[in-house]
Amino acid sequence: MFDIDWRGLLVPLAYVFVLGGTFMTFSTIYRKRKAVQSANLAPWFGPHLQRNIYLSLLHMEPEAGSEKAPKVPDSIIRAALLRRAVEDIHRIIQIRTAKASCSSLLQRGSVGDDLWQRFQRAEKEMEEELRDVVMEANALAPNWGQTIFQSANEIAANTVLRERMDEIKATVDSEKEWWEKRRAGIQTEFMKELDEAEKTQIKAGSEDDTVLVDTNTPSATPSGASKKKKGKK
Amino acid sequence: MSTDYAYDEEGYLWPFFVFTLTFIVTLPLTYMLINRSRDPAAQFQRVQTGYRHDQSALVDTLRKQEKRKDRKIWLMAAVVGGWAVMAYTLYLINTTVVPALDLWNPYDILNIPESASEKVIKSTYKKLSLKFHPDKAKPDASKNETIEDLNARYVEISKAYQALTDEEVRNNYIQYGNPDGKQSYSINIGLPKIIVSDGAGKFVVLLYTLMFGVLLPYLVGSWWYGTLRRSKEGVLMESANRLFRAYKDDIDEGGIVEALSIGQEYEELLKGDKADDGLSKIESRILAEGQLSPLAGGLSVKDKRKLEDMESGPRRKALALLWAYLGRVELDDPGLAKAKFEVAPIAHALNKSFNAIALAYMNTAPLLASYYTNQLLIQALPPKASPLLQLPYFTPKVVKAVEGDSRVHTSVQSFMDRPDAKRRSLAVGKGLLTEAQYREAVNVAKQLPYLRVAKAYFKVTGERFIIPSSLVTLVVKGRFVPPGSENVPEVNELDLEDIDPAEDDLDAILGRKAKNPVKKDENGKPIADKSGSSDPITPPLAQAPYFARDHSPRWHVFLTDSKQGRVAVPPFTFAQFDCPVFEADGKTPTFAMQTLKAQFQAPPQAGHYTFVMHVVCDSYVGFDTKMEVTLIVEEASKAALMKDEEEISEPEEDSIAGAMNALKGGPAPAAKPKKLQKVEEDSDEESGTEEEADSASDTNTDTEPED
Repeated sequence: MFDIDWRGLLVPLAYVFVLGGTFMTFSTIYRKRKAVQSANLAPWFGPHLQRNIYLSLLHMEPEAGSEKAPKVPDSIIRAALLRRAVEDIHRIIQIRTAKASCSSLLQRGSVGDDLWQRFQRAEKEMEEELRDVVMEANALAPNWGQTIFQSANEIAANTVLRERMDEIKATVDSEKEWWEKRRAGIQTEFMKELDEAEKTQIKAGSEDDTVLVDTNTPSATPSGASKKKKGKK
Repeated sequence: MSTDYAYDEEGYLWPFFVFTLTFIVTLPLTYMLINRSRDPAAQFQRVQTGYRHDQSALVDTLRKQEKRKDRKIWLMAAVVGGWAVMAYTLYLINTTVVPALDLWNPYDILNIPESASEKVIKSTYKKLSLKFHPDKAKPDASKNETIEDLNARYVEISKAYQALTDEEVRNNYIQYGNPDGKQSYSINIGLPKIIVSDGAGKFVVLLYTLMFGVLLPYLVGSWWYGTLRRSKEGVLMESANRLFRAYKDDIDEGGIVEALSIGQEYEELLKGDKADDGLSKIESRILAEGQLSPLAGGLSVKDKRKLEDMESGPRRKALALLWAYLGRVELDDPGLAKAKFEVAPIAHALNKSFNAIALAYMNTAPLLASYYTNQLLIQALPPKASPLLQLPYFTPKVVKAVEGDSRVHTSVQSFMDRPDAKRRSLAVGKGLLTEAQYREAVNVAKQLPYLRVAKAYFKVTGERFIIPSSLVTLVVKGRFVPPGSENVPEVNELDLEDIDPAEDDLDAILGRKAKNPVKKDENGKPIADKSGSSDPITPPLAQAPYFARDHSPRWHVFLTDSKQGRVAVPPFTFAQFDCPVFEADGKTPTFAMQTLKAQFQAPPQAGHYTFVMHVVCDSYVGFDTKMEVTLIVEEASKAALMKDEEEISEPEEDSIAGAMNALKGGPAPAAKPKKLQKVEEDSDEESGTEEEADSASDTNTDTEPED
């Protein structure tokens, strides 16, 4: 039969083993590292304060000395859940708007892979969070789960609107002040001009630029030109 | 047939091999080196000004440093080494004696010319055989000949004779170069013998392993992780990720500046004790009361709150430095001043990434804010600052004097549009500008490339109408009219038309740079562009005395839907133009009509679409154009009718073409020519420009002539 030269075979076998071993170690180490990395990725959203409040209200620990935990009124728990739902609405809007752009940016290579992983995890978490809120709502009041997010949505939209209103209102004082000053300035100039005109009995030039409110009339800018054109049409 | 591989024992082949190899590698590297060491900014025009602010020297050194960073030591070493190796091998090639390869040539043996006729050959052979036949000739002792030599010589002579006369032998000679038939041949490998000789083998294997087992994986790995580390826009991937998280739909310029401080690049720039060093000083300076804005750094109260809420560290310092840079705040410390000018180019790079992110969301406001931030970073102006600060010597005080207490800022254009005397009276004075400074400011303003849009319209190449889903070209015609230019010529109406390239002009259709007709003469006939210079024509480098990089200005053209606040057609970027902006002296504007074209797909439904067109310059504040354009998309059937009417002779009803037409849903053609006529008239009334046009496609839907 065949006479196998074991010593001669040793070298190629060793080569194969070393090669295979290297690949195996490399891939296991690489995978482990990847797993650790993705586990350590920072969460997309910060801590969910409203949820934490709700849960701590729900599971009040009995105070030291007393047997029973303090009873939290139902309305407060409901309000806390509604707050939680409002926060969820903010987050879900953020995720919905970000999804398409995030994936397109990832394809183009403008953002990194780990951002996408974080994003997907946040998406999954949000789904669970929503389900959880619906279940909690149903437990608190029958069929509330169907409407809680509608009301939360309205609250969220209202908050955004009010914030913007406040921002605009905040500028009222300074605007008013500026306008008063400005009016006073224009008035004094006018008076001065009138006085001068009376004194010298010479007509002042028809235009005096320092009086013009809008010093930069866009005479040559195309936007002005386009308006004129529109007028003709 | 056995083939022998011999190594290059005489050492005359491997220099050729090494020379070729080195040549192939070194030449591209040399080209790269030369290309790099040439200053890319040198070929650009610059705004001609002698203006230097008190920190120009610092900015200049930073610019130079950046250029030096581009030079790679390894590249220089590789090129020098490559040329050295080439020189050495060339020397070897020239000096090594090549062993003579004796080709067997029967004519040489018989000592006759190759043109000899058969007769001559025969007679020579006879003569030679008489002389050299072994029976006749005697070995010449003085020449150290033996009888074998004589035999051999005679055999050679008869072989040569046969090769020239005998058919078979002659064939052998022609085919294989030898009368005896095919000879064994050897291939020499152009490697020196030493490599394979005993003892060296180990080192060769070692070298091989190092190259393929270590160096190659290392190179591939470093390339791959290098690409993973940086995003497409060239910023660190981590920074891009953070910027994506910082994006908000209602972000403004201040918010973007704050977002830009998030970049990981700053952590590298502000390492160690640089992270907090001097932070309180910077903050006290930028939060001091400003001359034009409430705070010296030009930041709003909201931005201030954001800055103060941040934990101290590289990010807070980067943000503070950015505000100091934008507000042009003096820091009185060489280290801090340097850092102040260093953060701006980084922010500029990061803004590119932010711009891509804003574009992915397709919301107008953040995208515009991103472009405006770019302008602010290049010009070192805080948000909502007066554009006049871009002019040299213009201090907040001067700006105040010019603007009065108006809430609306005066742009450079409107300032320069005023008569000289009025400008002078506003800006020149005690504590304001001196006469020379004023003249310099006006000089610079008159060189700034302000693109004044003359007309913008839509068209489809080669068509009269825009039909749904067709490829529409937005044509923007405009001229560079620097602020305050005098004697601006009237717009030539012929310049405003965009002429389609002729149908046989492949170069133009494929988008190659060609001398396609770009203008029309008085008779309306297209004339070819004679200039023919294929060099890209760029506007002068941005006049940005505070920005520590050279920047070539770009213009972005995009369409937005004003009702939804969304981008309808993403930006097209123009950095090069088809006509020169300034004359050769770099100062006199040419007022040549420039054409910017952007292609996009028309909406799938017919109708009137009103867009807002933005033309944004990324380097100068207040040089942007915003105007409404209307895209009229006609029904496809209507356009098809028009076309049939005009170009194709009407297919007979019973012909194949007629059947095809009927299948396509067109009307039976021969039936109602009258109605067709009517349709055409109607559409003429609508767009009203059909008559004059022959080769221009007249789908002009909006015209905005310059006044």
